[in-house]
Amino acid sequence: MKEITCEDVLMSQMAVADGEQPQFSMQQLSTHIAACGNCQHELKQSEALDQLLAGHTLSEPRVDLWPAVENRIAKRTSAAFHWRPFALIGLLLVVYKLLEMLPARDLGLAFKLVPLVIVVLLFVLIRENPFRINTELVLER
Amino acid sequence: MDDAEAIERCQQGEQECFRHLVERYQKRAVAHATAILFNRDDADDAVQEAFIDAFKAIGTFDTARTFYQWFYVLLRNRCFKLTAKRRPTQSLDESMLLTSQSGISGETTLGLEKALHSLTAEEREIVCLKYFDGLSYDELATHLQIPRGTVMSRLFNARRRLQRKLVPEQEV
Repeated sequence: MKEITCEDVLMSQMAVADGEQPQFSMQQLSTHIAACGNCQHELKQSEALDQLLAGHTLSEPRVDLWPAVENRIAKRTSAAFHWRPFALIGLLLVVYKLLEMLPARDLGLAFKLVPLVIVVLLFVLIRENPFRINTELVLER
Repeated sequence: MDDAEAIERCQQGEQECFRHLVERYQKRAVAHATAILFNRDDADDAVQEAFIDAFKAIGTFDTARTFYQWFYVLLRNRCFKLTAKRRPTQSLDESMLLTSQSGISGETTLGLEKALHSLTAEEREIVCLKYFDGLSYDELATHLQIPRGTVMSRLFNARRRLQRKLVPEQEV
């Protein structure tokens, strides 16, 4: 039979106090404890700790995280769809370039204005005015 | 609305139903995160990030588990990422983690919090889940994804360190 150590006894006694099955029989434990001053002292300390812990609960703080979480979810959702207009513009430019490369085809003035329309569309999409003068720019000395 | 319905509706794209889950579990989550991080601001950040992680992964939620059991894994991952980066800085002038029952002085509660503060984040976590949430060893093993033997030894070591810090002052 495996020799029972103080640590085995104390761990098993902890399991018993926690309502769990110990590794050793109660008889083995009590025989060791009866003859071991160290275990008796440790078990007294352990009981005092159990009493102290039993007298407390975790505080549930006042908190409202929903507005912040909702904001993050909304940003994430809008970001997920944000790339689509740019992908569409890119696709239009590719199609335009391919059509332009067709030999001996004159598709008229309207066709030549397509890139301009695309550029205007791009500035509308990114909400930027290309004619705005940035007064915050400073020349490096 | 119950959790199962809220989760199902979230999975179908109704974002507003996620509110039910946040509002139901946020207090418990902040309490658990505070126990690990010992810093309320960091705990709020970790819980917020964990809820975002949960929202992203809600499609993979396993209905055999409870929401909080599943969410707790995400939460502790966030907490331990934060513990690797930061050190707890909150001073312990007043109790922020525990509420005492009547008859226990504020000084005793503060002493217990200081002793908990001296443990590692993992030890503090297991002590809180065992003694304040009342989880069994098997439940702890599932929650923390560790073997039952590790649950026992981690709990035993944590208790020993708490005893060394606390009990001599309590005059056994």
